[in-house]
Amino acid sequence: MLSRVADSMYWMSRYLERAEHTARLIAVKLESMVEQSREDADSSWSRVVAALSAEDHVPAVPDAFAITQGLAFDRFNPSSLILSLRNARDNARQVREQLSMEVWENLNRLYLRLQPVAMDGVWMHHPARLFRETLQDLHTLGGVTYSTLSHGEGWYFLELGRHIERAQLVSRLLDLHFGAAAAGDAPKYFDWLVLLKFCSAFEPYCKAYTAAIRPEKIAEFLLFDAEFPHSVRFSVDRVCDALLHVAPGAPPNRRAAVERLAGRLKASVDFTQIEDLMRGSIAPFLDDITRQCEQIHEAVYSSYIAYGAETVL
Amino acid sequence: MQHEAVADLLEGLTGAARPVRGAPYGNYRLGSAYDEMFDAGAAVRPHYAELDAELLTLAPDELHRRQQACELSFLHQGITFTVYSDKQATERIIPTDLLPRIVTAAEWNRIETGLKQRIEALNHFLRDIYGDGRVLKDGVLPRSMIYGSKHYRREMRGVQVPHGAYVNVCGTDLVRREDGAFVVLEDNLRVPSGVSYMLANRDVVRRAFPDLFRAMGVRPIEHYPRELLAALRALTPFQEDASIAVLTPGVFNSAYFEHAFLARQMGVELVEGCDLLVNDNVVYARTTSGLKRIDVIYRRIDDDFIDPLIFREDSSLGVPGLFNAYRAGNVVIANALGTGVADDKAVYAYVPRLIRYYLSEEPILDNVETFLCREPASLSHVLANLDKLVVKAVGESGGYGMLVGPHATKAECEAFAEKVKADPENYIAQPTIQLSTAPTFVDGGVEARHVDLRPFILNGEKTVIVPGALTRVALKRGSLVVNSSQGGGSKDTWVLSS
Repeated sequence: MLSRVADSMYWMSRYLERAEHTARLIAVKLESMVEQSREDADSSWSRVVAALSAEDHVPAVPDAFAITQGLAFDRFNPSSLILSLRNARDNARQVREQLSMEVWENLNRLYLRLQPVAMDGVWMHHPARLFRETLQDLHTLGGVTYSTLSHGEGWYFLELGRHIERAQLVSRLLDLHFGAAAAGDAPKYFDWLVLLKFCSAFEPYCKAYTAAIRPEKIAEFLLFDAEFPHSVRFSVDRVCDALLHVAPGAPPNRRAAVERLAGRLKASVDFTQIEDLMRGSIAPFLDDITRQCEQIHEAVYSSYIAYGAETVL
Repeated sequence: MQHEAVADLLEGLTGAARPVRGAPYGNYRLGSAYDEMFDAGAAVRPHYAELDAELLTLAPDELHRRQQACELSFLHQGITFTVYSDKQATERIIPTDLLPRIVTAAEWNRIETGLKQRIEALNHFLRDIYGDGRVLKDGVLPRSMIYGSKHYRREMRGVQVPHGAYVNVCGTDLVRREDGAFVVLEDNLRVPSGVSYMLANRDVVRRAFPDLFRAMGVRPIEHYPRELLAALRALTPFQEDASIAVLTPGVFNSAYFEHAFLARQMGVELVEGCDLLVNDNVVYARTTSGLKRIDVIYRRIDDDFIDPLIFREDSSLGVPGLFNAYRAGNVVIANALGTGVADDKAVYAYVPRLIRYYLSEEPILDNVETFLCREPASLSHVLANLDKLVVKAVGESGGYGMLVGPHATKAECEAFAEKVKADPENYIAQPTIQLSTAPTFVDGGVEARHVDLRPFILNGEKTVIVPGALTRVALKRGSLVVNSSQGGGSKDTWVLSS
C-alpha cells in the first residue's frame, strides 16, 4: 500500500472517531442536562468542553446554545463535529480508489446532510436528535465499512487510526473526571452515570458490575475491560492486532521498532492493578497511556509512512 | 480550447427558428443547424422514435423527478467540481442531461473507421517527426511548423516507444455540420479527459430509462476500463505482472474524480508525483512495506510538469528523474511525451494530407474546412472573405489574436488584414460552425441545444474504440459553448447495435 494512502486511511478513521466522540458527548450532555440542577449542568458542560479541547472556541459562560454551536458547527474549532467530518471526507477523497463505493457514498452523504444545517433549526424542537441521528449514520458507516471493504492492509490502517484516537479520547475523559475527584471537586452520582453514557458504557457496565455506580468500578471497566469496545484495553488490543497486519513486507528492524512500543503499551494496561491507580496514581497513568499512543503514532510514521528513501535503497 | 472562444462569440447567430409542435416540445426550436432528433420537415428521425414515444407518455414531473435522481446520484458519488467564492468553497455537480443522444449503427461505423484511420496516421506522423523526419524532407509540412512548435519535445528524438504508439488514449472532438456529416474539430492527443462522465452518465441514464434502454439495443461501454488496462499492459513485456499506476496532479485537479475512478475500475494504484521516486533510472513508489517498482505510468499530467529536471523546473507535481528513466526504457509513460505537437491548430489543417501521405487513403472524416494563410491561394480567399470567417493566430489560444469576421467592424477587419498580410504563416481561417442540436430537458420541457461528440480511442498493440462517447451540451439556449466551466453539461450517448 502506498504510504500516502496509508496516511489518509489512518487519518480518515481518526477523524471519524473524533466526530463520533464529539457527537456522542453533545447528545448525552443535551439529554442529561434537563435532569440536572443549573450548577451541576454548568460544571459538566465545562468538562465536555475540556474533553474536546475546545476551551478557546466556546464562550466561558455556560450558554448551552453557544457551546453546542461551537462544538458542533464552528469551522474555526479544529475539533468541531463538522470539521472532523470534513477532514475525514477530505482524506477519504484522497484515497477514493481504495474505498468501496458504499463507504464513500455513506460518508459523503453524512457530510452533505450535516454541512448546511443551521443551529436555530436544531435548537427549536429536539436539540439532541440531530446528534443522535449523526451517531446513527456514523454507526451505519462503520457497519458498511466492515462489510464492504476488504479486511486487508487498508482496513487495518483504519483500525489503527480509530483505536489510537479512541484510547486517547477515553483516557482524557477519565482524566477529567478522576482529576476533578482528586482535586476535591468530586463528580456526583449523576456525573458518573453521564461519564458511562459518554462512552456508550452504561448498559455494558451494568451487565458487568450491576447498576451500583462506583467510581473505582467505572475506572476499572473503562480502562481494563477486555470485551467492551470503548475501553482503553480493548482499543490497545486492536492497535496491537492492527500493527501485526500493516506493512507486511517492511524490513524486520522497522517492524520491531513499532511492535516493541505496542507491546509496552499492552503490558501497561494488562498488568496494572486498579487498586494501585485508585490510591492516587491514575492521573500519571492516563498521561502515560496518551504519551505511549503518541509514540506509537510517531513510530508508525517513521517506519512505514514518512521514512527516508535513502534508508531503503 | 480554441473553438469554444469562437463559439461563445457566435452565440445567438442561429438562423430563423421555428417551433416543432406541442408539449413537451413547446419550446423546441429548429434553426439552421442539423437537429439530431427532427429532420428538416420536423418529422422525428426513425432512431429517435422510441425516445419520442417515451417522452410523450411521461408526465412532466416524472421527467423532473428522474432528472433530480440523476443529479443526486452524481452528488453522492462526489462527481463534482469546486467553485471558490469569497468565503467558502462550494461543490457543484457537472450538469448532466437525462435525455440520451442517439447515434445509429451506420453513423458509428463511419466514425469508428474514420477515427482509427486518423489515429493511425497521427501515430505514423509522430514516429516520423521524432525519427527520420521523412514527412519534412518530402515537404509535406514546413519544418518550421514542427521544430518551431512549443509542443515539440527535442528530448524525444530517437526514443523508442512500444509498438510505435505515441498516443495511447485519445479523445477526439467531433461536431456535426449543417449537412449532417460528422467532422473533426480537434484531436486531443495529450491528456484528454471526460471518459468517466461517459461511464457515469450511462449509469444514471440507464437507471432513468430502463425499458427504453433494453428495447433499443444500446451497445455497452462498461468495458472501457478493462480495455484501457489491456492497452496499458500491452505496452510492457510483463503483461499480467506489469505494475501500473495512474499519475494524478492530486485532489485539487478538476479531473481528480476521473483519475480515482479509472484507477479503481482498473484495479491499479493511483499515485501523485510525491509518491514516486527515481533511483538509477528506475521508478519506484513509496509503500508502507518499502519501495515498489512501477512499469507503466498512465499520466494525467501535462508534459511540462512531468519532470522538473527536464521540463518546468518549478513543477512540484512531477517526479525528478522520470524522463531519464523513460529514455532508458525502464518505465513506459502513456501517452508518450511530445504528442502535443500533432494536435495544434496548424498541424490540424494538415491531418487530411497526412492521412493521404502515410496511408495512401482518402480521409473518412473531414476536418472543419481550414484555410492556411501561408498558402497564397488560401490567403487571397481569406482576405476577400474576412467578414465571413474566423481567423486565428496559430500560436495563440484562448481567443487571443483572433478575428470573428461576422462580429467585427469594417475597421477591425481592415486592421486585421494588415496583420495577416504581414505574417501569413501565423494565421489560419475557418468558416463559422453550427453544431448540431439535440433534445435536452430544460425547465420542465424538451428543447433543442447544441452538442458535440467526444469518443475515446485506445491504442496499444491494437486500436479499440468503445462504442460510446461523451456528448457535451451547451445548456444555454442558442449557445455553442459546451465547456463545463461555461455552463455546459453532458449527456449519455447511445450507440445502437443495428
